[in-house]
Amino acid sequence: MAFIESGLSINVGSRDSELEPDGVVAWAARVHDDRTQLTIYLHKQAAEAMVRNLRVHPEFAVLLERPTTHRGCQVKGRFISTRPAKPSERAVVERQAESFCADLEGIGIPRALSSCAEIWPCAAIQMRATELFEQTPGPGAGEPLR
Amino acid sequence: MIPLESLTSCFQGLIPSWLYTCSRDGVPNVAILSHVDYVDSRHVALSFQFFNKSKRNIAENPRAKVRLYDPDTMRAYALRLRFVRTETAGPTFESMRLRIEAIASYTGLKGIFKLLGADIYEVLSVEAIEYEPGLPAASPGIRTQVAETRLPFTLKALQEISDRIHQAPTLDCLLDAILETLENIFGFRHSMLLLATENADRLEMIASRGYPEGGVGSEVRIGEGIIGLVAEARKPIRIAGILRQLLYAAAVAKSAQEQGLKATHRSIPLPGLANPESQLGVPLLVRDELIGVLCIETDKSYRFHEEDRAYIEVLGGYLAIAIQNALLKERTEEPEEYSTVKAKPVAPSIKAERQPKIKVEFYKSDECILVDGEYLVRSLPAKILWKLLHEHRDGGAVEFTNRRLRLDKTLNLPDFKDNLESRLILLRRRLEERCPEIHIAQSGRGRFRLELGSKVELVEQP
Repeated sequence: MAFIESGLSINVGSRDSELEPDGVVAWAARVHDDRTQLTIYLHKQAAEAMVRNLRVHPEFAVLLERPTTHRGCQVKGRFISTRPAKPSERAVVERQAESFCADLEGIGIPRALSSCAEIWPCAAIQMRATELFEQTPGPGAGEPLR
Repeated sequence: MIPLESLTSCFQGLIPSWLYTCSRDGVPNVAILSHVDYVDSRHVALSFQFFNKSKRNIAENPRAKVRLYDPDTMRAYALRLRFVRTETAGPTFESMRLRIEAIASYTGLKGIFKLLGADIYEVLSVEAIEYEPGLPAASPGIRTQVAETRLPFTLKALQEISDRIHQAPTLDCLLDAILETLENIFGFRHSMLLLATENADRLEMIASRGYPEGGVGSEVRIGEGIIGLVAEARKPIRIAGILRQLLYAAAVAKSAQEQGLKATHRSIPLPGLANPESQLGVPLLVRDELIGVLCIETDKSYRFHEEDRAYIEVLGGYLAIAIQNALLKERTEEPEEYSTVKAKPVAPSIKAERQPKIKVEFYKSDECILVDGEYLVRSLPAKILWKLLHEHRDGGAVEFTNRRLRLDKTLNLPDFKDNLESRLILLRRRLEERCPEIHIAQSGRGRFRLELGSKVELVEQP
């Protein structure tokens, strides 16, 4: 849980009726107390097309990874709901985005570049996680995590 | 559609990309990609290294999407793709394989971190992602820095390097002129030249620029590291974003160990710079014969463009011909006679007075010379030095000619293409770096002089 909320590279995948994949970048993730639900925060413009997919085809995938170590996991699950992120959530989103940008410096991407992305306003997408997979690159990538 | 050619910066591998796929039963998947390779105006290639979920999804459903970033601006692009085929040979596969194997050999991952195939995808659409616009058009600080890193590969620059190299009077001067010109014209401040030797399995560094330690005489095995792979494949290799790719490989190594796979313990140290960000290896070829390898390193992420590849290959061919011509010229202009000039007393240096005698040991079995217990040189340069020191001790000779060495049966030089000149240059430079008490000075075309700044004790070991 601490890893997922630590400020990572977050990418969300969905698909449309033609099985055409789509994906967007997200800025923060929060694990709910029941440990089966996630809220993903992404720019509201990025969320629009994704939510159109998710309302019809609720299957989703979220890849969470730390750029400097490539340690990562992939959460698979189903879309529950979406709403505009609250102003009170902004600090959490910005803290995670800041931590992610700091990590990017470790792989040679200067802050001047990484900090130019538009983070706010965000949509908060709530999802139910059903499976968790190892995503650290290598022969074990894609294996279920228990 | 945005032309694929306009995204060349995105294909440098400086910033990771993401691959989105979907299984036949509708479950999406996201994967990180170390590199997306440009193939042509309608196709890209993705590396296939492991049978992972993305690969299984593509087998079921050929649709995919890739998110790319321009490393100069962080502007994001989405490419809608259709899988076409997997290539396991050919220029695209080879270029990707060599880059991946170079990284693997630096991390002891040969055989684990390898390319199984180059997956070729047709690009159906390219869109700039609106809500990730990257840097605004006027961001002078970053953009100036980027502009400075662009390689000035132009015909004019090649003409200029050609002119300067033509003016080098000897092979010795030519080697330094090449590296100096690469800095002055192209801005490459760290470079090294390695030449093929009498040992077919390795190259030896004969000249370097921009490294305090010099490193003349360092050996690289064929097939290891970027230099050894360039020599083996006889193709240029360029790696950008080395730090990120090494981190990626390190993650694979850790994962492989956890899976019970063992990485080999023998890892090849990176040549030169401690943390290079970009490396470029260029084979020096004349009619399919490997003369050597030029290796350039930078601590910045150079943006090599596809069109640069042709210039780099032309440059490699030109340098190879220049080096080979210089070798042939020196050989044909060698004097016929052999001088037997006796030694004149050489004033010992202050250092020599403090250390009046150095011990030179020749190990016959390894053909290797140690000076005061420290490794100096091996193979042919070692045999040459041993012979010179013996003739000096026994007969007082100080003046030698290349021709006499070439005719000396004890050195076992091949009749054709013996590379004697380059081996003498390596020996002289190695002595300058590691044993200044023994000096070899060129005293004319095909002629040199042995100068000793200290007494020398010669010891032959089995």
